[in-house]
Amino acid sequence: MSALFPRWSNLAFRTVLLVGAIGAVAVPFFLMGWVRTPAVTQQYHRPAQPVPFNHVIHVHGLGIDCRYCHSTVERAATAGIPATSVCVPCHNQTWMQSPAFAAVRRSLSTDMPIPWQRVNRLPDFVYFNHAIHVNKGVGCETCHGRVDRMTQVDQAAPLTMGWCLDCHRHPERYLRPVAQMTTMGWTPERPQREVGEELMERYKVRHLTNCTTCHR
Amino acid sequence: MTDERRDRWAEALRGRSGAAYWRGLEELLDTPEFRDAVRHEFPAAVDEIPEGITRRTFVKLLGASLALAGVSACTAEPAEKILPYVTQPPEVTPGIPLHYATSMVLDGYATGLLVESHAGRPTKVEGNPAHPASLGAAGVYEQASVLQLYDPDRARVVRADRRRSSWTALTQALAPTALRTHVGARGAGLRLLLEPTSSQVVAELLDRIGTLYPDSKRYYFAPLASGHRESGMRAALGSAFETQYDFSRADVVLALDADFLAAMPFHLRHARDFAQRRHIEQPTDEMNRLYVAEAMLTPTGGLADHRLRVRASEIESLAAAVTNQVMGERAAQLSNIPGSARRAVAHLRDAGGAAQSPWAPWAQAVAHDLAEHAGRSIVIAGPQQSAAVHVVVHLLNAALGNVGQTVWYTESPIVEAGEANHALAPLAEEMRAGQVDTLVILGGNPAYTAPADLDFARLLRALPRSVYLGLYENETAALTHWFIPAAHYLESWGDARAYDGTPSIIQPLIAPMYDGKTGSELLAALAGEDDASAHSLVQGSWRGRVGSANFDAFWTDVLHRGLVPRSAAPRTQASLRWRTLVRALEQAANARRAPAASRGRLELAFRQDPKVYDGRFANVAWLQELPAPVTKLTWDNAAMLSPATAARLAVANEEMVELGAEGRVLRVPVLIVPGHADDAVTVSLGYGRAGAEEIARGVGGNAYRLRTTAAPYLVPGATLTRRNVGHPLAITQMHSALHGRAIVLQATLEAFRRNPRFTQDHKGRVLTLYQPFQYRTGDQWAMTIDLSTCTGCSACVVACQAENNIPVVGKADVLKGREMHWIRIDRYYSGTPDDPAVVMQPMLCQQCEKAPCEYVCPVNATVHSPDGLNEMIYNRCVGTRFCSNNCPYKVRRFNWFDYNAEITETEKMVKNPDVTVRGRGVMEKCTFCVQRIRRHQIQAELEERPLRPGEVKTACQQACPTQAIVFGSYTDPEDGIVRELAQARSYAVLHELGTQPRVNYLARITNPNPAMGGGER
Amino acid sequence: MASPAPLPSEAPPLHERLVIRNLPDNAALTQQLLSPIWRGGSRWWLWPLLFCSSGLLALLFFVLIFYTFAEGIGVWGNNIPVAWAYAITDFVWWIGIGHAGTFISAFLILLNQKWRASINRIAEAMTLFALVNAMIFPVLHLGRPWFFYWLIPYPSAMRVWPNFRSALPWDVAAISTYFTVSLLFWYVGLIPDLAAVRDSAPGAIRKRIYGLLALGWRGASRHWQRYRIAYIILAGLATPLVISVHSIVSLDFSIAQLPGWHSTIFPPYFVVGAIYSGFAMVLMLILPIRSAFGLHDVITERHLDVLGKMLLVMGMLLAYSYVCEAFTAYYSGNQFEQYTYLFARPMGPYAWVYWSMTLCNVLTPQIFWWSYLRTNVVALFCASVVIFVAMWAERFMLIVTSLNRDFLPSSWHFYAPTWVDWGILIGSLGLFCFLFFAFLRWAPFIPLSELKRTRFELRREAEHGLP
Repeated sequence: MSALFPRWSNLAFRTVLLVGAIGAVAVPFFLMGWVRTPAVTQQYHRPAQPVPFNHVIHVHGLGIDCRYCHSTVERAATAGIPATSVCVPCHNQTWMQSPAFAAVRRSLSTDMPIPWQRVNRLPDFVYFNHAIHVNKGVGCETCHGRVDRMTQVDQAAPLTMGWCLDCHRHPERYLRPVAQMTTMGWTPERPQREVGEELMERYKVRHLTNCTTCHR
Repeated sequence: MTDERRDRWAEALRGRSGAAYWRGLEELLDTPEFRDAVRHEFPAAVDEIPEGITRRTFVKLLGASLALAGVSACTAEPAEKILPYVTQPPEVTPGIPLHYATSMVLDGYATGLLVESHAGRPTKVEGNPAHPASLGAAGVYEQASVLQLYDPDRARVVRADRRRSSWTALTQALAPTALRTHVGARGAGLRLLLEPTSSQVVAELLDRIGTLYPDSKRYYFAPLASGHRESGMRAALGSAFETQYDFSRADVVLALDADFLAAMPFHLRHARDFAQRRHIEQPTDEMNRLYVAEAMLTPTGGLADHRLRVRASEIESLAAAVTNQVMGERAAQLSNIPGSARRAVAHLRDAGGAAQSPWAPWAQAVAHDLAEHAGRSIVIAGPQQSAAVHVVVHLLNAALGNVGQTVWYTESPIVEAGEANHALAPLAEEMRAGQVDTLVILGGNPAYTAPADLDFARLLRALPRSVYLGLYENETAALTHWFIPAAHYLESWGDARAYDGTPSIIQPLIAPMYDGKTGSELLAALAGEDDASAHSLVQGSWRGRVGSANFDAFWTDVLHRGLVPRSAAPRTQASLRWRTLVRALEQAANARRAPAASRGRLELAFRQDPKVYDGRFANVAWLQELPAPVTKLTWDNAAMLSPATAARLAVANEEMVELGAEGRVLRVPVLIVPGHADDAVTVSLGYGRAGAEEIARGVGGNAYRLRTTAAPYLVPGATLTRRNVGHPLAITQMHSALHGRAIVLQATLEAFRRNPRFTQDHKGRVLTLYQPFQYRTGDQWAMTIDLSTCTGCSACVVACQAENNIPVVGKADVLKGREMHWIRIDRYYSGTPDDPAVVMQPMLCQQCEKAPCEYVCPVNATVHSPDGLNEMIYNRCVGTRFCSNNCPYKVRRFNWFDYNAEITETEKMVKNPDVTVRGRGVMEKCTFCVQRIRRHQIQAELEERPLRPGEVKTACQQACPTQAIVFGSYTDPEDGIVRELAQARSYAVLHELGTQPRVNYLARITNPNPAMGGGER
Repeated sequence: MASPAPLPSEAPPLHERLVIRNLPDNAALTQQLLSPIWRGGSRWWLWPLLFCSSGLLALLFFVLIFYTFAEGIGVWGNNIPVAWAYAITDFVWWIGIGHAGTFISAFLILLNQKWRASINRIAEAMTLFALVNAMIFPVLHLGRPWFFYWLIPYPSAMRVWPNFRSALPWDVAAISTYFTVSLLFWYVGLIPDLAAVRDSAPGAIRKRIYGLLALGWRGASRHWQRYRIAYIILAGLATPLVISVHSIVSLDFSIAQLPGWHSTIFPPYFVVGAIYSGFAMVLMLILPIRSAFGLHDVITERHLDVLGKMLLVMGMLLAYSYVCEAFTAYYSGNQFEQYTYLFARPMGPYAWVYWSMTLCNVLTPQIFWWSYLRTNVVALFCASVVIFVAMWAERFMLIVTSLNRDFLPSSWHFYAPTWVDWGILIGSLGLFCFLFFAFLRWAPFIPLSELKRTRFELRREAEHGLP
């Protein structure tokens, strides 16, 4: 009887088998990689803010300390987004009438908050506390990046649990003197490892990796 | 609200859930925007409810339209906004809660509280350690009241004849000029009906109204206040004093139908004092002895060393019998007691047939024990007992020389206490006679709670003019012309006195959400001061009292402390008035001689409900689902009978019956309660509500229907007829026998002294093949629970629910066995079903060092922390439920449905932002309040100091009136827990399993009277 | 071609009877066995009926699965303490049923049992479809099924791994392995017959479809040689799985310290129970097939006899483990164990389940001491139905009566299934039937090649007078 399939169907069939086998391995690996990309972690994402507040001018240019606006960072869980009134002392002299300040003016007149866009977001079941981190020598820069170079702030870190654990398992790689907390672009004069271990001693930093450190 | 604003909210909160949702809302909450919206938008909206949509569903819709809704499990994270303050209040730091002192008033008596507030949002009510009525503890009512604040069913609008009206319209109608035209120049047609109050502001306002309308009258009505206590007091001592007790100095206590540890005013304080004498450490320690005679098993009865189950009606002659014998034994010291009194007591005893009563020997032994501890004992009677009983008790305390020692008398803090106007009947009489034109009702719910024989509802409807100030549009609101939404006490300024007379200020935690008014504001309007705010009234009143000189300092201090220090009422020199006393006793005796309390027939007793009080808390879901202290009944009330009586009447559990009294009937299901007196039935008041409260409506039966002015607490000849229908009761504990298992260890005092190490085999390490992990460094958390002092009052259960965002599941799921409480109170019976011994055992996650739940979890969602906590990580849990199967204590709870999806926006405001709100399909359980531990640890680290002993308190520990729960770190030698763990009585439940629990129990020690066989009972 | 060996005049004792007899020659045999595929058998009109009824039940199954996913596990009767109930019972039950197939194919081929030939394909298909059901339940049973992959060990961005101390991740591995191997085993066995179907198929499309499935089998000796090797290897792989899979499933219970679960006898006990229920199901399937397709010459009394004996043996083993459990509990002196085994089960709220299942499982197989009943179709069928149900009840008893009364009496609570629980159970049966009917309708359910080979061997033995 005549052949049911043409010769090339063998090749075709083998190819299909091969592709299937490769796919079975490759797809999971692809997914594992993909969840680590900014597409998922939202790293580098830079939402448009209602007020074009420029950190370069304020931090780099005028050298204003982070804590002037983010005033509760040393004592509370949240660093604190400044109340509108914080802008006033300086800005009632300058810029207040400029169109860029429309949102600020409206906020002051209507007594309604300025709807800032959240940049660094953690899931609801994560209880991050700024105070304890900055008081144990984790600098602003370590997580938020070179804010002094950001005209519009973006999410500097992936903020994945793995990323958190890196530091919680090896604090010595990231710690800096509390005095240098808000310094941008701080570099240790001695190898970070030495400095870090020293600081861990001084600040009594522990390797807190048990779950209820963050999840409650 | 304007769309632009609504949108801004919507955006701000879109797709949030749990904590982040709150982090967001907090930032919103304190903006005038929010207050404004809530104040003006909701009422308007509410009035536009289309037919057929309940208020609750409407609020849901509104919530949805605000896009606040939604636990979004696995969606991509949407954009989220941060709304900072425009001008930040100096005291507020987002993320750091504040505590404010205030007081909650129940039937006039204040309990001092500290309320936790997150950025202007009260979330949890705790006791005020400085306040004499609390000492840091809080009862179920106080703690659950915060949920009532956010109750979506609360009234929102002023109404005139059902139609929406306004406060100004009302004040105009009540202004003297307008009102006089109706009630006459001297106010002859004006009547006020209030709840008993101890508020000085209210008292002054009432006086001002009195002078403005000389012929007006005022009445006070509290459904649970029978007036017996007062009339007994007047007969015995000539004036309505308040009896004060010092249980910390009493060696022997006799409670006659008095649940003084869990129900009566000042019970938190009484429980604390009593427990001091119960918590023994060394075998050599002395311990008090408690005798209880009661019909229905109460927490106090459960703790008794000797409990006598008698019908409430027998108490009279029982008390007389005891008194008679005491007077006999102490004749030498009691020469001053006139023969008439002795005879009267004897009459009363014989009238009740004490001699032939089965309890005669009991009474004899108790009397002897009391006489031996003269001056160091207390006899206390329940408020529902007859005036005669109270008279006898006063006589007895005097005869025992307790007065001035453990018992003393003070002026009552209640305004016009004991006056004839503390009753509803005379008012009803005037209404029937048509003498009332305008009736102003402040709080309460008389249309629902009034004795049935008064037919109050009809009279109220017939009135020309009636004004009602209430939290809900309830039964009374439906019958009155004017309705004004009342401000919740957490929204109000006011003042009140504690049972011992200590005054305290009530300060608001949040601006009135629904534009509610306080009673003082309404009275002010009546007095023609319609612009006066509660705040100015209170301040004004106190300024008047303490003088303007350094008033501000005084004021800030009082607000800070929550009370006026060292201001308890002084002891009064009250002496027995023999003439009135004797007459009262003779009357009671004669009343008894008349046909002896109908034998064979049922004796129906009403009681204050341990969960909904008189019905005012019926809409608080936490309380409806709270297992009742002894019966473990939720979402219902029932006809509670003894097993023997149930057998005699051939009725079974969960069978609908009809209780009849004087032609009125009530349909309730039967609940057989071991230890209940025979031939008697007890029913809780406060159920069968028919108002606008959605949760309360239709739950249980309304026992007020059987209540009469003559017999407010006791119906001698009630009937019980079977209805052949069933009614499932949602009871959280099905089995009450210990099956000889080492779960609850107990011993009598002698036994303990003979063998102090009787718990030895139930503690310490057990053999293991593996090298046990050593928990030595850092904080090591542990807890002990003293079974000798646990009354089972369930304050801890509510505290836990409030602290840990524990959802309410509803009757259907409780029936299936799915209640979510992280701490439950197990109740075990031993002995005969008729007259069992009871023991309460709080059961929560034992935080096992070798936790069976941990090694079976496939995803490491429950693991151990270095500080000895058995951690439960909701966001890792996939819900195999293997952990629960392997938990020997069955303390894990599972989210069978998304229980939080159902709750309304206002209810979400009560959630604790420090605790994850769990979604569907995850396990949860007691965490030792890990959020508190971590908060304090971080605080301590910031302050570069170690944790202080006792700095971290769990919610249950904090609420416990008897301090039965102790929590702390055993690595800190200073910590109290070390001492507790080291106690001879300590042991671990199911120790043999080798789970090494971090929760240890202190075995229960009872102190039975050797003369009475020394049995457990 | 040699004529078939003549049958002895008087019937010899069962164990000497032939496993196949008076078959036509190969071509005719092929024709006879494959004809139903093309002409749906004599009662062709039955097919739509069977497919519709089972299909509807299968639909119900999927609807209820969706309902559960949407609403939450709360739609079932489960509670605290009884957090596991019907779903896990169904799971263990289906896994157990799955065992007989592999046992017959793998064990018996290694033991060179000739009688396996006629029934092994049916048994394998049964295994496969039972596993399809079994694999649904563990996922369905999760509170948050969308995170089922957290049980699989992979380097996640959370840096968290499964807990290897728990039996459940091993479950996932064991069951998926078992399914894969069973699938391969079944398919490899099918290849030559699929080729036969292809060759006998009328019409080009059918030829191509079956041709594709036959993977270009030409029956060349090289094919046969590799086929035999592959088949033996797979048999070798499958055999230990028969033991391992249900042993691991049994660990889901025995690693817990719950009285009634915490027992070292579980692995063998579970495997025995599994094979027991599996053989019951095999009988339930082949008896109707035998009469429906007139396969009395292919599935002979010898098969029935052997299967009957298997039921008897397994039944006895099971009875032994029941006794062991109870005795261990009694002898342990542990009050909790004693309460569960000596009171809660025989006298507790589920006593009726306990007694009916024990009696059914222990007494039913005893009838097979009589050889007459071992070949009596009605007796066999009824017995296997009883055992089939009783084995479900056993798993229910084991799970629920242990959970509903454990250590603290205060937490004891009754369990009652909801309509969803029942619907899912019945629905899963529907799905099984649907798949199995499809298999009967369109696949060569009697292994032709095996049969021919076996017959050849038998004849040679007969000719050369081999045993």
